[in-house]
Order: sequence, then C-alpha cells, then structure tokens
Amino acid sequence: MKVEVNEELMKKLEKLALISLSDQERVEFMRDLSKILDFFNAIDRVNLEGVEPMFHPVPGSRLRSDSIQPSLKREEALLNVPKKKDGFIIGPSTIGG
Amino acid sequence: MISELVSKLRTGELSPDEYVGRTFDKILKAEKNIRSFITLESQDEVLHQVKASLKRGGRLAGVLIAIKDNISTKGIRTTCASKMLENYIPPYDATVVSRLKEQGAVILGKTNMDEFAMGSTTETSYFGPTRNPWDLERTPGGSSGGSGSALAAGLVEIALGSDTGGSIRTPASFTSTFGLKPSYGTVSRYGLVAYANSLEQIGPMARNSKDLSILFSVIAGTDPRDSTTIDYSPPNIVDPIPVKGIKVGILKDLMDASETGVSSVIRGYLDKMSSEGAVIEETTLGIMDYVLPTYYIIAMSEASSNLARYDGIRYGYNSGTEGNWKEVYSKTRGEGFGKEVKRRILLGSFILSAGYYEQFYIRALKARRLIKDSLEKLFSKYDILISPTTPILPPKIGEVIDDPVKMYAMDVGTVTANLAAVPALSIPAGFYNNLPVGVQLMGRYLSDTFLMGISMFMEDVTGIKDMTAPL
Repeated sequence: MKVEVNEELMKKLEKLALISLSDQERVEFMRDLSKILDFFNAIDRVNLEGVEPMFHPVPGSRLRSDSIQPSLKREEALLNVPKKKDGFIIGPSTIGG
Repeated sequence: MISELVSKLRTGELSPDEYVGRTFDKILKAEKNIRSFITLESQDEVLHQVKASLKRGGRLAGVLIAIKDNISTKGIRTTCASKMLENYIPPYDATVVSRLKEQGAVILGKTNMDEFAMGSTTETSYFGPTRNPWDLERTPGGSSGGSGSALAAGLVEIALGSDTGGSIRTPASFTSTFGLKPSYGTVSRYGLVAYANSLEQIGPMARNSKDLSILFSVIAGTDPRDSTTIDYSPPNIVDPIPVKGIKVGILKDLMDASETGVSSVIRGYLDKMSSEGAVIEETTLGIMDYVLPTYYIIAMSEASSNLARYDGIRYGYNSGTEGNWKEVYSKTRGEGFGKEVKRRILLGSFILSAGYYEQFYIRALKARRLIKDSLEKLFSKYDILISPTTPILPPKIGEVIDDPVKMYAMDVGTVTANLAAVPALSIPAGFYNNLPVGVQLMGRYLSDTFLMGISMFMEDVTGIKDMTAPL
C-alpha cells in the first residue's frame, strides 16, 4: 500500500518521535521517507498467511533470583546529569504542552 | 598472534615500554590518515595498566584492545559517535569489558563508528569518517569501521565491534580482517548501548582466526545481568577443522547480486576449499526480495523505542532550551541526533504508529519467521553457507551516504544471520584491484566455534592472515 508522505505526516512524526526538524530537514526527510517506504513495500508481495510473527529470535528468557544486588551510588548515577541540585535532577516543566 | 605476544611480555622478551611505545608510534603515524579512534587513552596510563596487568596475569595479560564506542567502559568516554553522548562517561563496565579486564586486556581506546551503529560505512559519525587503511579514499565499512581500520593498520591485534545487520562483518570484509557475529544469546549485551536489541550482538574482531577464537572465548558466556543470554560456555581453545567432506552451500542469489570483482575472488576461495575436499553445491536463499525490508523495518522500530531514552535530562546533550518537557525534549533530540539516526527514529515511529503497525511491523515479524525457517531448511542440507560478505568493493567516501536505499542494499548478504540469530563470520578471501574482499561463512545456531575452526584451517590454505595495510 502506497503511503503518501506529506508535510502533515512529517509534523505528526516529529510529535510522535519528539524530534523537532528544521524546514530544510523536513523537506529532505519527506523525500527520503517516501523512497524508503516504497522499498519496504516489498514485503507486501510475500505470502504471510498463517505465519506467526516472531517477536524474538531466541524464545524464552531467564529470570535472576529476587535478591538485592549492589547498585550505583547516587553520585555515580548522577555523574552525567547536565542540570542537578542537591542530589536531584532538574527537569523541564511537565505541566502543559 | 596474541598468544605469542602474551608469552613475550611475560618472559620479558618484549618490555611493556617497547610494546606500548611502538603502538603509540604507529598510532601517531596512522591516525592522522585513518582516524580509527574517537577516544585514545594516554600513553602513560596505558603503560601503567600494561605493567599492572602483567603482574596480575590472565589469558590476555598486557594485551592492548580497541573497543567500539557503543560499549560502556567505566571512566572512559563512550559517545556512540553522537553529539548526544559527546561527553558521556559511563559509571560501569559492560560485561564483556569486565571479562576482558579479568583476563588482563588493557583498553587502548574507543573506536569510531556510525552514529549509534546506524550505517554501513562509518560516515555517519559525529566525529567524522574513518578511512580505509588499504585505500584512504574509501570507507572501511561500518558500523564498526574504527575497529576494522585499527586492526588493518596493525595498531591492535584484537578489537570489539557490534553487529546489528553486518556491522562487524562489513568492516572485516573491507579491511581484510576477521570478524564474527556470534549466535544471539552467546555474548552479553549488558553495557552495549542498545540500538536494535533483538538483532545486535557484541562480537570479536581480529587479524587471524586464532586470536578471534580466543577473544570470543573470553567475552562469551551466560550473564546474569542479561536475561537474553543463553546457558552457554565457550571452549577455551578452538582447533582447525579440515574441510574434507564438509557440505558447503554457495548462495547463488547473493553471488549473482555481487560485483564481478567480488564474486570472482569468492570463486577462487571456493576452488581452494574444493581442492581440500569440501563438497560444494550451489543453492539459493530464495528470500532475497524481502530480507532487507524485513531487517530495516524491525531495526528501525526497535531503534525508535531504544532511542526514546535520550532526553538530555539524565545524561547526554542538552539544548539548554526552557519550556515544557515536550518542547525541551524535541529541541534537544533535534539538535543532538544526526541525520541517519533521526531518519530511522522517524521511520520507526511511523511503522509502530496506529494504522501502520500491522501493515509494516507485524508483517516484518512474520517474514522474519519465514527467513529463519528457510535458513533452517538449508542447514538440514549444508554444514555451512557461503557468500560474499558484501556485494560490492569498499565504496569511496561519499559514494553511498546520500542515498539511504543504496547504503541499505550493502547489507543484503549480512542481515539474514541477525534475523535468524545464527552465527556468521567474515574472513579475508583475497583482493581485487588491491581492494580487500571478504567471504562470509554462515552456520547453524551455536556453530560459532565450528565456523572459526573452518576459518583457521582455510587461513593456512590461503595464507591470508595478519595483513597490515601499507600506510
């Protein structure tokens, strides 16, 4: 199924991906995304009736015992935080938007 | 050979000062041309570490190793070749790094790569491209191009890469070195900065098969910190496996899709296998038309999810914008990520969005099962499958980067192994017009050491190993 990649779709994707693009990037990506989605359409030609999706290549996973493990110290965990105060991370406002 | 190197260092035949000094002399000469490292440890620090390691001992005592810059190294900057993580210093080691240190390996530096491992040429790096030591106008492949380039220039004997769709094997092929994409679950991904977690594995890269197998035996094995690792202990020693009687399937569809220069070198390699008694037959994958779309749909979907964590709040680049969280995150991510990464996140978000999830993502997961089934059928007939690692010779810098579909097409021979979780090894097959050509050996799930044993035998037949580019 052909997908029309237009400015409206690009703006929707910017919102979904939380990535703001410049006007020039938007034009460039519109062209690229259209081309790549055409390339993806090859899977439309495969007969997939009755095939179960494979979410993971190796089924099953192990769980470790539910016991306390050593963790990072607070100062280590906050080592790379760009804005912090008194051992806390300063984040942006979560109200509105 | 690292076993000889360890022995010389242990007996004092080679002093740490001479070993480290010689390595840094080579780096000084080579790096201005090839730029394989993003971060290099200081010579004094490396020398200190080598001396301390020799006192402690271990299978890799004193051996210098280059680590791809998406593998966490405690206290050493780990950038993923991105502006987003330009100044990120991990507070912990990846499991593979802890295991290397336990055996005495010393980290020389962190190697260049495509940004967040997204690319096949090491040109999408924020820090600029790495060049191929065999021809400085050309790419070393990607995304582990820095590791491949450092090996080909003889700066190190062993290196780590990661392979999501060919990122170890493509640079191994383009630089005449050895690289293994291990069976999924055999090597811990704890501390690997995730891009597409159901496809990627950390793997060994080296200048010969013996070193490759030693490095694999050190890094592989069950890890309680990574629940996707399987119950697996690699053997410490891999011996050469004569190819007499081994059933080899040549993937004709991949041979036909390759440049003449590439396929002619592979045919020469197969003739040598045949004269050693391998039973060679032509066969086809039969899934060529949809293997690349399937791979890229899954990889991009997983990328959009994995890279959601980069918000510039807890770590990484922060745009400094004021405003609500959506504005701040969007600005930071728009500025911090490069073009290819943004392209893949946007596409991944699209594929996973309402209305398209079934059409793209679920169909790709179904196609993935068909691909795995189709490989399993082939492995009921053949012990190994052989094809060119890449369909083309190393491209010139700038040749494929502006055409994403052209760049993705380079991975046609490599992505199948990642989709099906099986091991695949790229080894040097020869040269065409002075450019390296790699041959790929793909095997059944958990046949990693079998593939390396075959490679070891064939390496003695061809004499192609420990190649150093004339820089």
